[in-house]
Amino acid sequence: MAMAIDGAQFELDFSSYSSITTTTTPTTSTENDHGCNWNDWSPMVDWEALSGAQDDFQDLIDSMMDDGALMNQSNRLTPDTSNSMSTSDTLLVDEETSCSDDLKGLRLVHLLMAAAEALTGLNKNRDLARVILVRLKELVSPNDGTNMERLAAYFTDALQGLLEGSGSIHSNKHLSATNNGPYHHHHRDDPQHHHHQSDVLAAFQLLQDMSPYVKFGHFTANQAILEAVADDRRIHIVDYDIMEGIQWASLMQALVSRKDGPPTPHLRITALSRGGSGRRSIGTVQETGRRLVAFAASIGQPFSFHQCRLDSDETFRPSALKLVRGEALVMNCMLQLPHFSYRAPDSVASFLSGAKTLNPRLIAMVEEEVGPIGDGGFVSRFMDSLHHYSAFYDSLEAGFPMQGRARALVERVFLGPRIAGSLARIYSARGEEGSSWGERLAAVGFQPIKISFANHCQAKLLLGLFNDGYRVEELASNRLVLGWKSRRLLSASIWTSPSDPDL
Amino acid sequence: MFHTKKPSTMNSHDRPMCVQDSGLVLTTDPKPRLRWTVELHERFVDAVSQLGGPDKATPKTIMRVMGVKGLTLYHLKSHLQKFRLGKQPHKEFNDHSIKDASALDLQRSAASSSGMISRSMNEMQMEVQRRLHEQLEVQRHLQLRTEAQGKYIQSLLEKACQTLAGDQDLASGSYKGIGNQGVPDMGAMKDFGPLNFPPFQDLNIYGSGQLDLLHNMDRPSLDGFMSNNHDDICLGKKRTNPYAGSGKSPLIWSDDLRLQDLGSGLSCLGSQDDPLKGDQIQIEPPLMDSGTDLDSLSGLYETKPVHQGDALDEKKLEASAKIERPSPRRAPLAADRMSPMINTGGMPQGRNSPFG
Repeated sequence: MAMAIDGAQFELDFSSYSSITTTTTPTTSTENDHGCNWNDWSPMVDWEALSGAQDDFQDLIDSMMDDGALMNQSNRLTPDTSNSMSTSDTLLVDEETSCSDDLKGLRLVHLLMAAAEALTGLNKNRDLARVILVRLKELVSPNDGTNMERLAAYFTDALQGLLEGSGSIHSNKHLSATNNGPYHHHHRDDPQHHHHQSDVLAAFQLLQDMSPYVKFGHFTANQAILEAVADDRRIHIVDYDIMEGIQWASLMQALVSRKDGPPTPHLRITALSRGGSGRRSIGTVQETGRRLVAFAASIGQPFSFHQCRLDSDETFRPSALKLVRGEALVMNCMLQLPHFSYRAPDSVASFLSGAKTLNPRLIAMVEEEVGPIGDGGFVSRFMDSLHHYSAFYDSLEAGFPMQGRARALVERVFLGPRIAGSLARIYSARGEEGSSWGERLAAVGFQPIKISFANHCQAKLLLGLFNDGYRVEELASNRLVLGWKSRRLLSASIWTSPSDPDL
Repeated sequence: MFHTKKPSTMNSHDRPMCVQDSGLVLTTDPKPRLRWTVELHERFVDAVSQLGGPDKATPKTIMRVMGVKGLTLYHLKSHLQKFRLGKQPHKEFNDHSIKDASALDLQRSAASSSGMISRSMNEMQMEVQRRLHEQLEVQRHLQLRTEAQGKYIQSLLEKACQTLAGDQDLASGSYKGIGNQGVPDMGAMKDFGPLNFPPFQDLNIYGSGQLDLLHNMDRPSLDGFMSNNHDDICLGKKRTNPYAGSGKSPLIWSDDLRLQDLGSGLSCLGSQDDPLKGDQIQIEPPLMDSGTDLDSLSGLYETKPVHQGDALDEKKLEASAKIERPSPRRAPLAADRMSPMINTGGMPQGRNSPFG
């Protein structure tokens, strides 16, 4: 489902909403419920009991739900305050079948936005947020329904977490206890903790197959690396988040099959590993290392693997790295799906600042592309995030419309936690960190390396294997951006150390 | 055609000339025109080729390279434009040009001109060839790299499957690799396809691989993906592994045989807009009693088996065809798209298009 989210339009709605600070005359009837019959949608919820002292909010919500102009049947249903099941059952069915998906989706967006706004307000608004979230939960499900419904489920979930977490995002608080969402079954800090390993495996494979996201980052980085080390005999790659090491399989293959030039160079990979209980990848870093060693042996690539521990707070210390003279040093930083590195921005920052001292030949940075930050307010960034993931969902659906279950799995394992994490980050940062990692690299003094024709060509080819809606843009000489329709999603940028060591 | 280039003997226009100090021959019209002599033109062509061809060269750079005094940008601009036009074959042939063509014929007998013309044509051709070659290289590399990745993922998933199966046996939560011990226990599951369901886009890459998949339709199982019941984790490698190093590089359809294989399945290629849509692999539930709720799982991947190969192939072909033709075009018949690839891949031209 294509959601056209017009920022300007929503801002208007938003401002009109915020002007309502006091309540209108409280009414317990659903007279304002123009054809939408909110009560009938949630016959299970005794709205009266729930709203109780918060009668004033119902009007606000109802007015938000007011799509009278868009609804076909506006006068069909008489206001029913008793929430009786008999009449509302048939009405409910009729209602649902006659509501278009877009309409419902739009409604969800309105509600989400209202909840987001409520969260950044005063205490009173937090109650409103809670109420809105309850309503939302009735409407959404992470497994069924349209893209928007599933997406809204995770956003609702994330907002719920923000509401209860009250700003403590990176803490180890166990939020699961306080979650009343029936589908919120995983611990926020360690998303994979409660995901079954087979699910993670499956989702991982599916993500690889159904979208070019993972490959785009890997292949673009690898091509740039290949070009940068074309004449070197020894290569050393420091990988920030190696996960399963899939990226390096294709690099090794490329190194081995170089027709002309020097013989196959020796490749050394140092993977940063994290302490702590949360396991980020399907296996451990050691397992990845073993696997890479075996693979390298199978294709005849001279290879060695090392591990470098991050500190307990996941800070990278360049001094912990073992460097060998004569090696071409490459720093690899993949932050896109399925990496979970969004949870630790300080760690990434330490990696990049460490890179500065190491003077690498090349830094490959793949990250999610954020929209224009605007005034940096939580709500606008929230909406941008909604837009972002909506495009993501759409891209998956467009390629595989029949595979709803598969997509739901990928959403559950990877996207849901990512949404929660990025919202938490936005909530806490709130305008402090608005720039992308690429911008920060530039600001610190790294020099861009031009994306070659071959690299760009490869990206276009890769996307051509998937759906037509994907496109690649060269936004800067060193930056390729993968997008879905009109939304930019991933950015791959290539940098090198400044030649002047004084910088 | 270089109708500006005429030897003075064939000059149909009578103009008084005067020779400059720099060696340039100008007319003495009120508006002096430069006469592009053979030598001058030769220098011009040399300069252009030095700069990388008429498309890359600019009047300014040509002027610098030629280093001829008195030569202005104005002269060079118009001459370059004519040169560029002249290099395109079958561009407007008017009477004038035909006349010049005959003039050129005469010139061709002269030693200097023929080399120049053919050289220019060659440059252009070489440029095009170079681009094409590079794109093909990229395509080939992409193919190999994707294969390598797939192979690696295969090993990853196998190991993980074994580990998980081992867990099942040990009834513990830890993930210890139990190596081969776990395998016999999963003997029953060996009949099922590998967990590594090949990437959708790769399916169209492996011609014969697809057909193998078709044959094994009743075997592969992805149900294990969704369930918490480890029994369903699929394993085994009964299905022909398309990644097994057979050295195939199917992106370049150099194997006639494979093309033939594709032909049968591809006959129903139509003008589908997005072939990947709705054309997925049919995975039927495993025969064994899984004891799991397969309801939610069996619908994971659906497809029309017959079209599976086609649609993906079509997508693939189109991707390849896009390289050959910079202007994206959705030709309704795959045959159209096939031909450029056939040509490039060095396949016999007269090949019967397998597509309907």
